[in-house]
Amino acid sequence: MRLIIRHTRIAAVTLAAGVLAMPGARLGAQDVAIRNATIITIANGDISNGNIVVRGGKITAVGANAAIPAGIRVIDGTGKFVMPGIIDAHSHAALEGGINEGSESVTPEVRVQVKNDDAVIYRALAGGVTAALQLHGSANTIGGQGNVVKMRWGATADDMLFKGAFRIVKFALGENVTRASSTAPADERRFPMTRMGVEFTVQYWFNKAKEYQKEWDDYRAAVKANPNAIMPRRDLRLEALSDIVKGDLKVHSHSYRADEILMLIRVAEENGFKVHTFQHVLEGYKVADEMARHGAMASTFAENWAYKVEAWDAIPFNMALMAQRGVVVSVNSDSDERIRRLYAEAGIGVRYGNMTVNEALKMITLNPARQLGVDKMVGTLEVGKDGDIAVFSAHPFSPNAMVEYTLVDGKVLFDRSEASTLRKQAATTPGGNQ
Amino acid sequence: MVCRLVRALPLGFFVATAAATAQTNNPAGPPVARSNYALTNVRIVAAPGRVIERGTVVFVDGRIAAVGANVPIPAGVVRMDLAGHTVFPGLIDAATSVGLPDPTRPLPTAGEATAAGRGAGGRGAGQPLGRGGPMAPPVALPEVEADAEAADMFQPSEAELRAMRAGGVTTVGLVFNGGIFPGRIGAALTGTQANSRLSLRTGAGQQVAFGTKRGGQYPGTGIGSVAFIRQSFLDAQYQARVEKAFKAGTPGARPSNDPFSRALVPAATNAMPSWFVASNERQIFRVADIATEMELKNPVVVGSQEGWRAIPALKRMGATAVVSLMWPSPENVTGRVFLAIGLGKSGVAPPLTAADTNEVRGNAAALVKAGVPVALASYGGASGADFRDRIRMAIAAGLSPDDALKAATVTPAALLGITAAVGTIEVGKLANVVVVNGNDLFAAGTPIKHVFVEGRLY
Repeated sequence: MRLIIRHTRIAAVTLAAGVLAMPGARLGAQDVAIRNATIITIANGDISNGNIVVRGGKITAVGANAAIPAGIRVIDGTGKFVMPGIIDAHSHAALEGGINEGSESVTPEVRVQVKNDDAVIYRALAGGVTAALQLHGSANTIGGQGNVVKMRWGATADDMLFKGAFRIVKFALGENVTRASSTAPADERRFPMTRMGVEFTVQYWFNKAKEYQKEWDDYRAAVKANPNAIMPRRDLRLEALSDIVKGDLKVHSHSYRADEILMLIRVAEENGFKVHTFQHVLEGYKVADEMARHGAMASTFAENWAYKVEAWDAIPFNMALMAQRGVVVSVNSDSDERIRRLYAEAGIGVRYGNMTVNEALKMITLNPARQLGVDKMVGTLEVGKDGDIAVFSAHPFSPNAMVEYTLVDGKVLFDRSEASTLRKQAATTPGGNQ
Repeated sequence: MVCRLVRALPLGFFVATAAATAQTNNPAGPPVARSNYALTNVRIVAAPGRVIERGTVVFVDGRIAAVGANVPIPAGVVRMDLAGHTVFPGLIDAATSVGLPDPTRPLPTAGEATAAGRGAGGRGAGQPLGRGGPMAPPVALPEVEADAEAADMFQPSEAELRAMRAGGVTTVGLVFNGGIFPGRIGAALTGTQANSRLSLRTGAGQQVAFGTKRGGQYPGTGIGSVAFIRQSFLDAQYQARVEKAFKAGTPGARPSNDPFSRALVPAATNAMPSWFVASNERQIFRVADIATEMELKNPVVVGSQEGWRAIPALKRMGATAVVSLMWPSPENVTGRVFLAIGLGKSGVAPPLTAADTNEVRGNAAALVKAGVPVALASYGGASGADFRDRIRMAIAAGLSPDDALKAATVTPAALLGITAAVGTIEVGKLANVVVVNGNDLFAAGTPIKHVFVEGRLY
């Protein structure tokens, strides 16, 4: 998807010039209520003319008659729609230090780095997004560890990390890993260069991980009898692969074609690990039963037919078909531009595949929350969950819908009314479009 | 922190440049006679906060032989009446790359470059020189030549040395510009190379930077660099375990022959401090993560240009900040964009003000105030007069003159493990001093009257 990211960056920059400052939203504990809105809880249906209260960063009340404590900030939700903050299960936004450590094909010890002052975070908030999985690119068979972040605009890089989320490692299959688009001569290209080579690479490294695990198991057994036993060398790469087998590090695998999806399921089962979530998975509809049986989830694009050779069989019904066969499906952005309109992407599932509105909305809320291991904290509007909330001017599937407010941990980090005023100011201020 | 560090350092590294070296070094060069001096009627700032209003300093054979209000002047010394002047300890610029080779320099030949690609640290086993021939000697990639000694490689031009002395800088800490493990920190004097040995100290620290390897090798990115650095420390800790077991006669224990891991053993086992190059907030966080994970004690953070934004991280790891006075432009400081988007009042980034400049230049002052040990440096820029000018600006931004002097004398001396030789005007130390007209070393328009390096007048 890198090409698409490049094209859309221009549009994103144009938007950034327009959407500017938002006074008063400094970080700090803030209690807030939204009153008289349509509340899309995801978990317990929609509530008309309902109230929702957030105190100390957590939802403390939600319902038609939820009492609003005196003295806290109240947002009038009349005519507005309130839904859980949107979660993007596949993003390359706000990264620095490189996306692909492409020098070698298996680098699970490498971890992405958050660039906390990248303006794309604010743009994501403008699209109601409150959390995302930051992933490596797809140059490597096993690229490295991602970060689950909250869009805490104004916080430090460390404070953006979503505590309690899964540790996630990215695998990749197909054209990107085999460097199919590389123009380098074949003898200068890195192994693997075919899908067969990718399968071998995964198998080879998990064999090594097994040997490594045995070396440590032997040491732990030996040291009980012999305190002079030498502790083995720690190998961060093999340690990460061992963590995958133990289930401590969840596999999210970039994939397109049915055959490679089946291949990875087979290799994973042979090696005793699980593919937690398939990413992109545009032919998932062909192998949804196999994915469901394995227990894999799916995070896909709403469409993207034929944007590359391996995407030739993509269909917009993919999301609905996978969901019908029992796969937990999310729809992701993979793009600094599309991250602002994931709600429109999810709506495609209603038009193509007859998903219910709630099921379609789950694809950008509860389902990605499950894929990221944060569904106990976010993804629905329920008492006790984090105050991560998007307030829309209309139903999020309406073509007129705009995000009016975005709250993270109960803090209003995006407020369109202020942004609009300031956008006008900026337009009339010399140098204001800088 | 300072005392701990000095104790932790192996003292054997210290190379005393005795006066005798003047006669023996560089026999090809013209001999320059060195005199013994007595600076009389001079105000003496012997150390930060230790002032003798009117006294004498005597230099004999390149060292300070006497200092005090009333000290006898031996016969045969050159007397210099410096009434109206003040003598300070020569400044120590805690980190400069001037005179050092660049870690990204080209390798000698393509063949050696290929050989260098082998091995964990990048040092190749060499290639056979033709069929059945002997092996070419191993070549280390400069980015990961962990046992390279900066002090051995220090080759400044005479013009560069003159420029350093022109700012009152008599000693420099030597830190490479770039690489991942480009070598070890050293210290050197700034006298002329013609007839004296500049190198003062090797092995003062192990340099670590978030660089990459060349030619598509791992690591090729900043994210890969962090992983490579962590693994390298782990490998060296493993090397240390096996070496120890080998010495104890443990069956099966055979230390590896990898020069890279072997070179990192002192740093990985806290026998030598690690000097990380990190300028912005996020880089400092990364250092803190690595130092915590690898249990590195009292690391040094070179650059620290956004140190004031990362004070908790610096304190958590017990770091000393070698603060570069090459300040970032205020509009490029991390988080500046928050003022333009989202948290601002105006809808546009507020225009830069004196307060923004002051915040950036006040970095050293903020760190001192927070209790982070600070040494000042020109790292990333030119040493010398510009360094002194920038110290003046740091003082204008809130650093007290005494703290500034401390951060440019005693703190870097301790950090570099050269306290016995430099940093204060005390008997037995090298005669490294700077003499200014008036009372203030850092005041604008104060010309430097004399600089002495190892007792030689410049």
